[in-house]
Parts: sequence; C-alpha cells; structure tokens
Amino acid sequence: MKLFNPDAAAEKLLRRFAGGTSRRGMLARLGGALVAAPVFPLLPVSRAEAAKPDRSPEAKTAFARNAQTKDDTQCDYWRYCAIDGALCSCCGGGVHTCPAGAESSPVSWVGTCINPDDGKAYMIAYRDCCGKPMCSQCECDNTDRETPLYVPNLNNNVIWCFGTQSMEYHCSTAVLVGPA
Amino acid sequence: MELGQVCLLTELGHLSNLTRDRGSSPLAKRLSDELNPYPRRFPEEMSRPTLLRPMAQILRLAPLALAVASGTARAAPENLTEPETATSATLPAPSKDWFFVRGYFETGGTSIVDSATSKMLGMVNTSGWSDLAFDPMGKVYYVAETLWSKGNRGTRQDMVSVYDAKTLLLQTEIPIPGRLIIGAQLNNFAVSADGKTGYVYNLTPAASVNVVDLVKRKFVKNVELPGCAGMMPIAEGLVSVCSDGSLATVNLTGAKAEITRSAPFFVPTVDPVFDSFSYSAVKKQAVFISYTGLIYTAKIGAKPEVAAPFSIQAAAGLRAGDTKPLDVNWLPGGWQVSAWHRASNHLYVLMHMGEYWSQKELGSEIWDVDLTAKKVVRRFPLEDKAGNLEVTQGDKPKLFVNSGRDGVVIDLATWKAGPKIKRISGGIISTIEAP
Repeated sequence: MKLFNPDAAAEKLLRRFAGGTSRRGMLARLGGALVAAPVFPLLPVSRAEAAKPDRSPEAKTAFARNAQTKDDTQCDYWRYCAIDGALCSCCGGGVHTCPAGAESSPVSWVGTCINPDDGKAYMIAYRDCCGKPMCSQCECDNTDRETPLYVPNLNNNVIWCFGTQSMEYHCSTAVLVGPA
Repeated sequence: MELGQVCLLTELGHLSNLTRDRGSSPLAKRLSDELNPYPRRFPEEMSRPTLLRPMAQILRLAPLALAVASGTARAAPENLTEPETATSATLPAPSKDWFFVRGYFETGGTSIVDSATSKMLGMVNTSGWSDLAFDPMGKVYYVAETLWSKGNRGTRQDMVSVYDAKTLLLQTEIPIPGRLIIGAQLNNFAVSADGKTGYVYNLTPAASVNVVDLVKRKFVKNVELPGCAGMMPIAEGLVSVCSDGSLATVNLTGAKAEITRSAPFFVPTVDPVFDSFSYSAVKKQAVFISYTGLIYTAKIGAKPEVAAPFSIQAAAGLRAGDTKPLDVNWLPGGWQVSAWHRASNHLYVLMHMGEYWSQKELGSEIWDVDLTAKKVVRRFPLEDKAGNLEVTQGDKPKLFVNSGRDGVVIDLATWKAGPKIKRISGGIISTIEAP
C-alpha cells in the first residue's frame, strides 16, 4: 500500500515550478507588476477616491450644468433630467403627486439626475398620472441618458400608464427613489 | 370669443377655403389665415345649435363674390339653378409619390399629401392611439389601434382595422390582444413583403409581438420578444433591435417561435441607434443611425449581417461625433430622424448643433448622405427646425419635413422647398415602398 509522502509531493511541485519558470521570466513579471501598480490602488482611501464619479462641469451634461433645485414647475428643475410630457406640478399636482382624479402609474421609466446642491446622483422614477386628457401646461422633453424603445425602462416616449384603470396620459411626476 | 363670433368666423373660414380651392385668391388666403387661427376649436363650437344659421346661409354665397372679385373664377359660370347632390370622393390606388402624415401625439387622422402638388388628397381614419401600415398590393390600409368602449374609459379594445384604399371606408376589424400605446412610432407595426402577415409590437411592459394573418384576417399568436423592439418582417418571421445591441431573429416557420440573436453591434447605454430606423421589407435591408452619428447598414434575414459603421460627420469632412459633455458638434436628432431612398441609396438626416444627449433636438439642417460613397453630398439649411422627415420612393424623390403643425415638401432634384402646408400636422410621416 502506497502512503502519501509529503516530501516527495513537495519536491515534485517545486521541480515542476522550476521547470516552468526562468529567472528572467520572474524578473519580467515583477517589473510588470511594478509598472502596473498605480493602476490597482491598494489603499482603501485611494479606492474610494477612484470610485467617486467625476462631477466637474466638464463631466456634466448640458442639463446638469444648468439645473436648479428651487422651482419644480420649470423644465430645468434637477429631477427632470429625462422627463417627457406635462409637469404634474403645473397641472394641480406636485413633483410626486398626481392632480386630483388622476391615478399614478405603478411602473415608470427612470432617470439618473445630479442634484446641483450636493453634487450627488439620484435615481428618479418618472411616474405618469393617468385617466384624464393630457394637461397642456409646462411641457418638457429632457433626454439625459434617455434610450430608444428597445431599452424601455429608460425611454420617455412610452405612455407608462400600465396597470392603471385608464391608459389615458395626463401628466408626469418625478419621484425620488434614492441615491444612484 | 363669443359663440356667435366663432360661428361667424367659421363660416368665413369655410368661405375662404372654398375660394382658395377655386384658384388661390390671395385675399381668400389672408382671410383664412387671419380669421381661422384656432381651427381645432371649431368642430365643437359648430355642433352646437345656433341662432346665426340664417346669417350663415347668406354668407355662404360670398365665396362666389370673392372669387369673381379676385378674378380667378373658372371661365364657365356655375349652374346655380339646378340643386346639387352631395357625394363622397374616391381615391386612385396608393402612390409611391404620396406622403402619409400622422396626427400629432393623441390627434387622430392621417393626411394623404400628394408630393407633386403639396395638396391634401384625403385622410386615413387613424385614431388617436394608432399605427399605420401599408398593403403591398395597394388594396387596403391597415391601422393598428386602441379604442375604449366609452371614449376615454370603458373596455379597452385593440385591433387592426382594415380600410379600403379607394373609398377609405372601413372593411373590417381584426381584434388583437394588445399593443403598445406611444405617440405613434415608425417601426411598431409592419406588414410582410408578401402582404400576408402583420406584426404589431406590444409592451405591457413585457415586450412581445402580435402576429396577424392578413389573408384570413385573424389574430394568430402572441410571441414574447424580451428586451427588443422594432418590427422588420422577413420571409421566416421578423427581426428586431435589442437592448444588448444585437438583432433578434424571430423564426415563426415552426410550431414554436425560435429566437436567435446576432452579435451585439452597438452599446445601447453608450451610443444607441435611433428606433426610427429605415427598413425595406422588399430589399431586406435596414439603415440605422446612432446618437453620435454612426451609420450602420444591415442585411436583414435569418442571420442579419451588419456592416462596419461610418461617421456622418466624418463623411462631411468634420470631426466625428462624441459622447463627451461640452463637445459641441453636429448631431442627428428629432423624432423621425432619418429617411432612406432605397433606389438611390441616399440617407437624409435631420442634424442640429449640440452636445451629446440632445437626441430629440429638432434639426436645423438636412444632410444628404450617399451611403454607397459614404459621403455627405449636401447640407441643406432648414427655414424652420424640423422633427420628422420622410422621402417618397419613386424615381423623382421628394422629402416631407414637418415641425410644429406645419409641413413642407422639398424637391430633391432641385432642393427647392414647396409652399408651407399650414396645420397639416407635426406627426410622423410614412411613404409606400411597394409595388
């Protein structure tokens, strides 16, 4: 019966390693690792720094550079970066409230908008209010990261009145979901 | 405005319209423009009983006076002694030289415009939420639409309505289980090249396609189409654009639908292709343009083949489009952004100056791209910025461009724009490819 011999196993492993490597090869790899080091930040601080998105004006879209946080009845209100339609805040509703008698859609398209006050990105759910003719007040069509129909969750042309009593489109709200 | 005034103005509006038909009197035109600024309000107002009928009757005689005054009346005087019979007009077979201009957003009605004269020939009865497709034999028009039993509420009814092409009267309705409601889009309803099958896109928001047998005039089946949109009929079924940047082929020849995907050819969250792409069901070819302006041509079939793209800006001798903020360049934009003339292989694109993510910005120029030579051969500045354009498919192609509610026909032989067609609608435009 053959017993497991750790010495022989270790020798075999080392010989195989030695046979497959050269001193030059080792040096080349070490050198490569040294050169590549800055690409892979090792400290948690630098990792956090690297993960922080660029929020300089140069990295912002035209909408984000000009957005404001004071008036939600204007198309340039920061949450409206990908809204399309009438603003419910101009139709008797609010930024997350449907006007009386209109029903909020349970599903929506989404946008990722930057709040100019804190420079952070937030996910916004654009919930349509349904069941009345279209409100003609404050029509906006903003298109940050808005995609064609084959990516429907980011498409702002679809009438999102799914699951409501009526498919009739009235206006759109911009409900804050949370930090993006 | 008082009701009485409205009625009076309506009558005058009618008069001036009639007069215009008799020979475009400048006075009548001015009257029409000045007195008829809100024509959409009139139908409601007119249906109400009014005490002003006698006055209106008197005013009805005025067009003759106006026409005579402007010196454009026909040589032969009208026979005013015999009572007339009211009739309905009919249309010739659908022509490759016609434009079909959809009502804007919720507005119903598709205006048929003759590209030779810029005049309206009739209207297809498309309801507010509908899509239009053509019969390659030219016998009927197909309208995929959604209606409710009580107008704005009640039972939802989805159907493909079939209209006779000559009389524009309803022939039949084919009930279907559903369709996507969106402000009219080019590629959500298509008919196969042999005219036998219709494909209606549905989103609930799960994506699928409703297959309709147009010979038996019956709904066949619903086929799931996860993550894809756009109907490009082929012999085996259809091809669709997908959220991973690939093309999906839906093979419907077997008992069970089979979906295969091509390799992705673009990245949808970085530089997507517009969903208002041009597809020829006859040639089985498609032309796509991306947000930055990359043009992809593709052979569409069981195994689609997409050619390497080229930049529209580079084809015009300019720097290629980029996704970076603050990089202002000429970019494609609008709703119906591009139009492809199949025979000459030219693509016409609405272009504007802007930064990336301005894909719905109205176009201030039309760029004429020779797809074979990969060159922009002309840049045409538009008087009014435009959101939609389409080209007729005959051998003397013309463009229809619209913005707001006005439209204009541009002759591509001379690049001369015709008269502005006021209030024709700002909706999307279709033209006929076959026969």
